[in-house]
Amino acid sequence: MDRIRARLRAILRPPGDPNLNRVQRRRAIISALTRRLHLIKFILFLVGYLWMAAIPSPRLGRGTYIDENALQPGQVNTYWNWGDVANADRYLGQLEGLRDANSTSEQRAKILMNEFIKLGMSASTQGYVFTSSTGKVKGTNAYAVLSSPRTSGTEAMVISASWISRAGEGDGTLNLRGIATVLTLANFLKSYSLWAKDIIFVVSDNYVDGMQAWLNAYHGSTQSNLQADDLELTSGVIWTALNIDYPGHSFSHLGIFHEGINGRLPNQDLLNSFHHISKWTGGVPVLVYDHLEPQNDLPSWIPSAYHEEIRGYSYRSKNVLRHIGYQARGRGSGVHGLFHQFRIDAFTMFGVPAAGPHGFHAIGRIIESTLRTTNNLLERLHASFFFYILTAPERFLKIGSFLPSAVLISVAMMFGGLRVWSDSAWILDIFVHPEKTEADTGPTSNKWIQRSRPVIPVLGIVLSTHILGGVLFSVLTTSWFSNNQTVASVVLFLAVFVTQLSALLAPSQDEKTTAPASQLLKALNLCFASTVISITTVVNFSLAMSLAILLGIPLSISSPSRSLPLRLGSFALYSGLGLGWIFAREELQKAIWDWEILGVWFAPFVCVVYLPLVLQAGLVCLLPV
Amino acid sequence: MLASFAHLLLLLLSSWSWGILATTPSHEQIVGDFFSKNGSTGGTTSDHTNNWAVLVCASRYWFNYRHMANALGMYRTVKRLGIPDSNIILMLADDVACNSRNKFPGSVYANPGRDLDLYGDNIEVDYRGYEVTVENFIRVLTGRMEPSVPRSKRLLTDARSNIFVYMTGHGGNEFLKFQDNEEISAFDIADAFEQMWQKKRYNEIFFMIDTCQANTMYSKFYSPNILATGSSKIDQNSYSYENDNDIGVSVIDRYTHYVLEFMEGINKTSHETVRDLFDIYDPAKIHSEPGVRSDLFTRPLDTVRITDFLGGVAQVEVGAPRTDAPLDLLEPEPAPQSQSQSQSQSTPKRSRPATAPAHIRTKGVRGQLGRAGRAGARGAACSCLARSWAGRGGSRFCFGRLFINPYIELSVR
Repeated sequence: MDRIRARLRAILRPPGDPNLNRVQRRRAIISALTRRLHLIKFILFLVGYLWMAAIPSPRLGRGTYIDENALQPGQVNTYWNWGDVANADRYLGQLEGLRDANSTSEQRAKILMNEFIKLGMSASTQGYVFTSSTGKVKGTNAYAVLSSPRTSGTEAMVISASWISRAGEGDGTLNLRGIATVLTLANFLKSYSLWAKDIIFVVSDNYVDGMQAWLNAYHGSTQSNLQADDLELTSGVIWTALNIDYPGHSFSHLGIFHEGINGRLPNQDLLNSFHHISKWTGGVPVLVYDHLEPQNDLPSWIPSAYHEEIRGYSYRSKNVLRHIGYQARGRGSGVHGLFHQFRIDAFTMFGVPAAGPHGFHAIGRIIESTLRTTNNLLERLHASFFFYILTAPERFLKIGSFLPSAVLISVAMMFGGLRVWSDSAWILDIFVHPEKTEADTGPTSNKWIQRSRPVIPVLGIVLSTHILGGVLFSVLTTSWFSNNQTVASVVLFLAVFVTQLSALLAPSQDEKTTAPASQLLKALNLCFASTVISITTVVNFSLAMSLAILLGIPLSISSPSRSLPLRLGSFALYSGLGLGWIFAREELQKAIWDWEILGVWFAPFVCVVYLPLVLQAGLVCLLPV
Repeated sequence: MLASFAHLLLLLLSSWSWGILATTPSHEQIVGDFFSKNGSTGGTTSDHTNNWAVLVCASRYWFNYRHMANALGMYRTVKRLGIPDSNIILMLADDVACNSRNKFPGSVYANPGRDLDLYGDNIEVDYRGYEVTVENFIRVLTGRMEPSVPRSKRLLTDARSNIFVYMTGHGGNEFLKFQDNEEISAFDIADAFEQMWQKKRYNEIFFMIDTCQANTMYSKFYSPNILATGSSKIDQNSYSYENDNDIGVSVIDRYTHYVLEFMEGINKTSHETVRDLFDIYDPAKIHSEPGVRSDLFTRPLDTVRITDFLGGVAQVEVGAPRTDAPLDLLEPEPAPQSQSQSQSQSTPKRSRPATAPAHIRTKGVRGQLGRAGRAGARGAACSCLARSWAGRGGSRFCFGRLFINPYIELSVR
């Protein structure tokens, strides 16, 4: 034992000056790391990307659970019954009449308001107009407030349905059954005195813009391009909102749509409570989105032991990709997404259209029980997760099990940038001794000489790309662009491309005294991109992950070259990577509309942060050596 | 005319009081004979003369409905078994009966069928809402109160009081949460009981607690004459029993449910002992392992009646004064051998030198009579009188020093 201890001590504390030893040890570690930096970077990239690929794995993650004690989901008898279903059918008939009569928004809202008033509730309408580069968006919302009978009404819950369903992402399918459910619920819920919160019923016009106008007016926030009536009726602080989307005749499953605008998510307790209630009280299976679990057969050459795993992986990856699609673009997956900006936990329950077997009876009971659960809340939902990925209705990944993947990529990029930065300060001077020229080619002495690194001009280049992005964005939001999109896209792409070509004219400098601008630009570019990714991981993981995939490798491999065609070619590639989206007509329109009407940050982010980062990498290739 | 009437009254009064003083021994004899008529003590070994209950629900909020119901169930039981509201300290957040989420306003039920409204129309909550704090609980136990605190909020016990302490709430290893705000530790309660012992504020304590890891809460007790029981061992949760689907929350905890079920079979004259109570503990039903701690307790458990603690069935003591009356610190002289006949065999549990100066001894007799009267009549009026006597004696202790209460002096002379 003593011998082992002595040997350990000899290794850990070698004889000699301990301070000197420490310095030497540190130096040895640093040089060992720097010598293997390429390997470290490679490993970081590899682990990061593999981790991302593993996110949908059924082996990762854990089962969902309810964290908040107060919720007590699914512990009540429900009293919604066939009489209420008959009421809902009557309302539906009325709404179908409105649809067939092609009535205007105002007419619809008036009739809905009158229906609420007939139930003895205070109800009102709200007209609004959004002005955007694509034109005006008009509509009228109807809403009613059921005051809590036994409390002061300082808190409220919202039950909402939009006129247009989210089916087909708001392509015009009407949500008549959702609205009929809201009206019937108003009739049903008013007969109970146990509501500890006011219940607000909102039938918002169109798809998302109606609710945006209503929420803005409710919270008194102003939007420069929105003209909306003030709300005549208000209530307390809204804590939770359930958005009902029931477009089909019947439904087989209820799908949870939970992504809010700008990547916000509702507290998971709300989703889990709903899931629990839907499953145990309503008897309706729950899906994430409208993805049914696939039962398809796999090719026979795959061993059957792996079938379950592969099926699970493909199902979950479908969910994860859908989630990333919504979250990275900052696009809410439904009307509920607008609530999150006001710190209201909300989601859409989507009746997945099918021939059966569920209808008004099931959805009414589920909502009744869910409202009893949210009614139990004593404070805002806070206990469970706000950062998570639902890979399946009953499985999720918490932030710690997916966040590091993007951070690893970002760290690899940071290492790369710092390496380029420190390398740029030195140049190897190959000096041939004059007196030994005839003897042999041999002894040359290599000397590292230090050179200056002028940062200001490079920062100027960086700044100019960001300004260019800003200018591009302001052009995109003009009505000129939306009117002539096909031509304008080409013009803008060429304009950006050509302005960047001016880098070809940059003067070349003496390599031995000053570091080349391309090298410095690459260092700054990598460090900045890495920082952006790291910061975004917490705010919007899907966006950070997409950035890590789009920027990670491309930015790291950018390098200057001496041949002009190569330089031009690689610059063109980078331009395509950075600005190719300008030809995605629909996508671009939607992103700009989201920004103008809903305040989604995705479009400006792409123009002012993402595009410049890629352009900088392109310039690294383009700049003269 | 008026003057002569007053004279007459004075004369009557003085002759009556003279008669009382003159006939004290025979009066004592009469009362003693009266109470020994029915076979005297009836088998119990306890020598307490008054019963108290401290019932604490340490939780608040709607979803902790069951803890409120636990405490109210115990309240119903002790009241039914004869402890009057004046002797019950009920600490209850009391935010469920009138909660807006309650489908049955003004009612608290402990069973899914909602057969029995525990809230009823006769509830006296002494500490309500935010008054349920660790500080108030310890003040109640130790009697360290502001002079302004009303008597109904005080535990006016004395050295002959049997106290039933019931606690419920959310707890853990050696702590119990009070309203999600603070905790009381096992040490706090143990020290409070020790203070009570030193201040002669109890004869025996029966401590019952229903919370997670409940048995840890009594593990630190070190004062004599405490019998303790809890719902679950260390590292075990205590679970709720049933849920009412209209109320929408669990309405009672398992342990308390089974204890109350047992208690429903008890009445004031029942001879069931705490041993019988502990025998019904079934870990399979309760889903945790209840514990009992009796090492500080001197009497064998199968002689300790449930009603010794949960009932208002006190013993009558007739005879010479007990020497361990609260005033014994005045004159520490050796205890006289002639003690009361009925109590001397079973009582010398207090180890401190028992003595009573001669001039107080008479008061002792009066005190005993007061207790006897209360116990005998089992009525509210007498118990009030006796309690005021005992309470004044007890509550005037402070840090071991004795302040003689002017009321007692008056009543003696």
